[in-house]
Amino acid sequence: MATVTFDGASRYYAGNDKPAVDQLDLEVEDGEFLVLVGPSGCGKSTTLRMLAGLEGVDEGAVRIGERDVTNLPPKDRDIAMVFQNYALYPHMTVADNIGFHLKIKKMPKAERAERVLEAAKLLDLEPYLERKPAKLSGGQRQRVAMGRAIVRRPQVFCMDEPLSNLDAKLRVQTRTQIASLQRRLGVTTIYVTHDQVEAMTMGDRVAVLKDGLLQQCDTPIGLFGRPKNLFVAGFIGSPAMNLIPATVNGDGAVIGGQPIGLTPAQREALTSPNVVVGVRPEGWTLKPAGEGIGAMVEVVEELGSDQFLYCSTSAELTAADASEAADESEAPHTITVRAPGMSAFQRGEKVGLVPQPGAVHLFDAETGDRLPD
Amino acid sequence: MSTVVDRPVTVTEVDGGGDPPKARERRRWGLTIVGSIVALIFLFPYLIMLIGAFKTRPEILRVPPTYLPQEWAPSNFLTMWDTPETPLPANLLSTVVISLCGTALALLAALPAAYYTARHNFRLKLPFLLLVLITQMLQPTVLASGLFREFITLEINDTWLTMILVNAAFNLSFAVWIMHSFFASVPKEIEEAAWLDGCSRGQSLTRIMLPLVWPGIVTAVIFTFIACWNEFAASLILLPTDTNQPLTVALTRFIGQYESAWQYVFAVSLIGIVPVVALFALIEKHLVSGLTAGGVK
Ligand SMILES: Nc1ncnc2c1ncn2[C@@H]1O[C@H](COP(=O)(O)OP(=O)(O)OP(=O)(O)O)[C@@H](O)[C@H]1O
Ligand SMILES: [Mg+2]
Repeated sequence: MATVTFDGASRYYAGNDKPAVDQLDLEVEDGEFLVLVGPSGCGKSTTLRMLAGLEGVDEGAVRIGERDVTNLPPKDRDIAMVFQNYALYPHMTVADNIGFHLKIKKMPKAERAERVLEAAKLLDLEPYLERKPAKLSGGQRQRVAMGRAIVRRPQVFCMDEPLSNLDAKLRVQTRTQIASLQRRLGVTTIYVTHDQVEAMTMGDRVAVLKDGLLQQCDTPIGLFGRPKNLFVAGFIGSPAMNLIPATVNGDGAVIGGQPIGLTPAQREALTSPNVVVGVRPEGWTLKPAGEGIGAMVEVVEELGSDQFLYCSTSAELTAADASEAADESEAPHTITVRAPGMSAFQRGEKVGLVPQPGAVHLFDAETGDRLPD
Repeated sequence: MSTVVDRPVTVTEVDGGGDPPKARERRRWGLTIVGSIVALIFLFPYLIMLIGAFKTRPEILRVPPTYLPQEWAPSNFLTMWDTPETPLPANLLSTVVISLCGTALALLAALPAAYYTARHNFRLKLPFLLLVLITQMLQPTVLASGLFREFITLEINDTWLTMILVNAAFNLSFAVWIMHSFFASVPKEIEEAAWLDGCSRGQSLTRIMLPLVWPGIVTAVIFTFIACWNEFAASLILLPTDTNQPLTVALTRFIGQYESAWQYVFAVSLIGIVPVVALFALIEKHLVSGLTAGGVK
């Protein structure tokens, strides 16, 4: 077991001036489950491949424990990787696939068979040990790929979207299996996904990447509760946080004619009067029309347990109800609001929206950074 | 390549599934008959060769010709080794040595080239592959006189080595392209997985890549070997000494200006194609496609 450290690590692909991974500083603790998440093409796979030694490190260093592995070939790094496409050896049986590393390490046959069987039992693969990968289902192949990793007891697990080829139900099942397996084995794990639900549910900590730049690395709660910038705020959480541009005046940031107060520190940190107010769908209190920000329900999405209301605001709605002049120049917004499941909201209904105390995130519209709380 | 490895189209796939049973039956018979006739036309020259090899000299020149030999003469296969026209044992040895060495050399050069072009991107990759392809378009005959001069300069003219080099060079492009496509069809993650599993580059090549591209290698070997074995034009020009000449050239020596030993032509042709057919039959079962199925996704 070991820690993993990226120390200003960058990777430039040939013919590309912009690095795919840009000055990454990241520290993964011993036994930690770290999830790398971000949109497609943000450099998640590249980060993982740099750690595994499959991609060169052009600047900076990568360390496993105290060992600088920056220039070590993959075979000497003691890393097991689960590839997005599983990359099983097609000409070998499941047992040989799982035991290949041990065979290369010249482990005696009996001991090897025992270790393979142990891994296979853990993953319910016993009946398939003599089959070739071509005769397995997608989920079984995924487990063989896992088996190949866990049989080794390596210092680090790397997993690159191992669940992306599974159907939704299997994905949820396997997600918990992998997480509990990792806790049991206690192997430092870096797990790549672009599914933020996976990221939130599996990781001890989650690192959010965008365009090769690390945006924020925090616990799921920290990421959810205190997103560091607009990108993280919009990326984490489903449905996404409502991000409403507003202008700051003497009273605060004005949305739909309603001011949202700013602390002196926040005012201090502003670079311009433009801010973005972020409120998650569950951060609103629904009031009768006339109170708070006036809005009209456009779409009702009933999930049974929850109901999501897609509401449109406009200055007129608030102004008409509050019967006072509002800023006519303010553009209408669409706001997603969570209501309890089976509520009786109707399309076209007028409601009032009030953000709950503590649910408001404020961001500088120019820099995208979070304003101090 | 795919014509070699794909399974043949069966009769049931050819005829329309929607036809009434009777029409389908008729159609199947028709196809069988037509197919047999076509096969017969293709096989007829081989039949003539086979039969001719067993005829005596007077009989083979008889007008009208006979179909089956009236007097079987297996002795042709013994006497042909010692004729005034050509030293046949030396010719056979020439063919074997040149073909084996030519194939080995071509493979030795083509394997790394195929692997490298399939796995790595470099600036001139496409031009390189096209250049390789273009060499395939030039017949050895076109270049023979130039090669002749070149080999004289190198002082290796009229040796086996010249034809080994020529054969290897002219079959390189095909071998590179075939194996390139096979290497390229193995996802690179499979090889990377092997590295992470502790393989050195060499180990991952021998334990993972080679088994997976085996059909491609076999295909390249067969076709290269056959091309070397059958090469004629360049050998005729580059190997003037009769003991150096391969069977293909030796064959022509039985056809003289004043008389031709047709029974020997047929007999030598026969022993010339037997090894090739045998090789093909032996190796054919390795030509299975889809070895990489199931590795990814
Ligand atoms: N071999 C390569 N050569 C050149 N550019 C590459 C190469 N591999 C990746 N890139 C580029 O580097 C960037 C990061 O790629 P990477 O594969 O790390 O993305 P990712 O975050 O894993 O995306 P995804 O979620 O789609 O897998 C992308 O912009 C991609 O186009
Ligand atoms: Mg990726």
